[in-house]
Amino acid sequence: MRRIPSSAAAESSSLASSEYVLQVRNVSKAFPGVQALDNVSFDLRPGEVHVLLGENGAGKSTLMKIIAGAYRPDAGEILIDGRPAVNLTPRKAQELGVGIIYQEFNLVPYLNVAENIFIDQLPTRQLIRLDHKTAHRKAREILASLGMEVPTHALAVELSTAQQQVVEVAKALTHKSRILIMDEPTASLTDREIEQLFMTIRELKSKGIGIIYISHRLREMKEIGDRVTVLRDGKYVGTHELSEVTVDSLVTMMVGREIDLLYEHEEVGPGEEVLRVEGLSSKATGLRDVSITLRRGEIVGLAGLVGSGRTELARAIFNADRHDAGKIIIFGKETKSKTPKDSVRNRVALLPEDRKRQGLALILSVAENVLSASLDKAFPRGWVDLRKQKSIAEEYIKILRIATPSGDQITQYLSGGNQQKVVIAKWLATGSEIFIFDEPTRGIDVGAKREIYAFMNKLKKENRAVLMVSSELPEVIGMSDRIFVMREGTIVAEFSRDEATQEKIISCAMDAIPEKSTGNGIDQNAA
Amino acid sequence: MGNAGMNALKILLNMPKIFWVNVALIVAFSLISNRYMTINNAINIMQQGAVLLVVTAAMTIVILSEGLDLSLGAVMTMAGIVSVLALRAGWPAPAAILAGVLSGAFLGAITGTLIALCKMSPFIASLGMQGVIYGFTLALTHSKAVFTDNAIFLLIGSRIGHYVPVAAILCGIIFLAVWAILHHTKFGRYVIAIGGNEAGARLSGVNTTFWKWFVYVFAGTVTAMGGVILAARLQVADPIVGVGWEFDAIAATVLGGTSLVKGRGDVSGSFLGVLLIVLLRNGMDVVEMPPIWEPALMGTIIILAIAFQVRASMREEARA
Repeated sequence: MRRIPSSAAAESSSLASSEYVLQVRNVSKAFPGVQALDNVSFDLRPGEVHVLLGENGAGKSTLMKIIAGAYRPDAGEILIDGRPAVNLTPRKAQELGVGIIYQEFNLVPYLNVAENIFIDQLPTRQLIRLDHKTAHRKAREILASLGMEVPTHALAVELSTAQQQVVEVAKALTHKSRILIMDEPTASLTDREIEQLFMTIRELKSKGIGIIYISHRLREMKEIGDRVTVLRDGKYVGTHELSEVTVDSLVTMMVGREIDLLYEHEEVGPGEEVLRVEGLSSKATGLRDVSITLRRGEIVGLAGLVGSGRTELARAIFNADRHDAGKIIIFGKETKSKTPKDSVRNRVALLPEDRKRQGLALILSVAENVLSASLDKAFPRGWVDLRKQKSIAEEYIKILRIATPSGDQITQYLSGGNQQKVVIAKWLATGSEIFIFDEPTRGIDVGAKREIYAFMNKLKKENRAVLMVSSELPEVIGMSDRIFVMREGTIVAEFSRDEATQEKIISCAMDAIPEKSTGNGIDQNAA
Repeated sequence: MGNAGMNALKILLNMPKIFWVNVALIVAFSLISNRYMTINNAINIMQQGAVLLVVTAAMTIVILSEGLDLSLGAVMTMAGIVSVLALRAGWPAPAAILAGVLSGAFLGAITGTLIALCKMSPFIASLGMQGVIYGFTLALTHSKAVFTDNAIFLLIGSRIGHYVPVAAILCGIIFLAVWAILHHTKFGRYVIAIGGNEAGARLSGVNTTFWKWFVYVFAGTVTAMGGVILAARLQVADPIVGVGWEFDAIAATVLGGTSLVKGRGDVSGSFLGVLLIVLLRNGMDVVEMPPIWEPALMGTIIILAIAFQVRASMREEARA
């Protein structure tokens, strides 16, 4: 069902370039106020993984959407199988073999796996009656060809993230896709699930499918990618064989500057203990007998695999979820608090992983967000003085260097890094002393990351305390004074800054190593 | 005990709580009144529940698509009026019935256009349509009930062999058809897809705008069938007979375990929801509760039951 334009020009160019399944030539695209892509070229061979790399806002997603037919380029051309693909629409791109796996969850929760895979081409017989049998049989065939076992009768809502991703890949394959765009496919996967995904990708490569792979994880792309194209500020920087470039040089290409100062550790010398968790357990969230401590002037890292209970622990400390047993002692007093409101009063701040939904009200202005947790404090009489609100917000905008035209800007138009800064401002405004960061730099570009790190160090120097949940080991090791490692809802190890290595943390976080052999059991330091 | 017995037991044990609430109600009412467990009362329950079952099936489809149609009570009313007026104008019964049903499809198409194409919120669009439709029913009938004595039309309201109401059988067939459409057609699956993840379905190549529009056409059509059946059973088309029906239909849907979001639920649950509402209403009559108090008590019980249901489904979602 492929409609291919057959003009004379198309015929002649197809001879020249059958080596590539996709060629993007000198494409430009402008949006009001921003040149998203400026004369960018990109190509893809069958059976290769071509990584598209760049900071947020570099133009990756614009390029991706142009290839998938969602945007029309202002200039330049796209060739699929050497033939110009003009006036692409999503439907047409699909017919020409372009499949795309978006970052967001695109499955339907209460349809089963087979129905999800064939959602736009459900087989029917007898006029309109669905042929469930054929759908399931074909779904099983496709999944088997990917080397994955997913029960086709399971509802999408019952699947793990990794399984959902496999279903998305299978969905793309039903359209005979030969170009597959994957947008940060590993963003929410555990290490083991990433391994499974890579197996699937290798399977796809062996079928001759070209994969455009977008990711922020540099080491991961070295493992799975063949070539890499770097974009910066909408401009083409270069294309390289991944085997010939180092991670450092990639980062330099992305940001145009050296990165060795990304993690800046400063010794402050820990002060009094501000937080002590003793034997915290919760049936609902799976926490088991968790004990940790946190002192003024230190950053404590909380490492572990996704699902090991780190976020759950952060939420429990903040009273976002209830716990069944154990004590939370804040500033030397056991808290009787039961709600997040009490936690705010106790000068505890939670900067959640999903800041768009849990950290901010995106449709409100920057100023409204900054004051959202401290309205009682700033306006004790209950009347919100808008001018004062704005002037308070402007102060934090200056301190944190939030890139926004003014405090009146709607928060959703800010970049991820600046949104995170707004969340930080919100908690500074409450006068919080204990900052719990959950994945503070997820989805944030390198430049903004550096600023967030500098800010965490500033909190430390001001004698406040930081607890940081992070899945990025260099971040944990680079920033923390002490590190706790979680596995299956409990703390399995504690390391000092000097002891910690990626290998040690990983082996504690994975259940391959028995708990006792870590040699750095929690109880040694807890005393 | 054989395999079949074991399976029956298993099915019984897996029944949702509302099933046991229904059983408890039947037991309670039959203990209070000796007029309860009679064939006549059973037929009453069937008569009272039949049309509501049809309207609820339509409402469940709308709610599964994460929509809402507050105009269904009015659509039901209009369909009866159109049929009866057509009969009075001398149309043959089959043509009059078809006209009634098509009026529902037409009204649903308008509601669907407002929601799917004009992107209005379903609540506002369908509430507005409810007002407009009642305006027309009152104008068409000059605010008076219209009677019919067309013998063929009234067959729908008759009984087979003195006992079995034809209307109940027709409604049962319509209900089963809706169930089959939900589970065994593209349209049915797209209802779940739109309710569960509309953006995802659209990006997967599903024409969500069209199918969302069709949800309201479908609901209007099915509801209109109920309206024609009701008019035939009552032998009269009343311009405000449908007032409040959408509330009962939404309540029955939610009681049956369908969530207002995410496309979770099933038409089969709505059967139990309808049964609960009808059992309550019928039971109050049988135990001779003063009719003045019926609406207040019904409302209270339904709110409590739904609160219970919502809590249960929230717990279920937290586990998932």
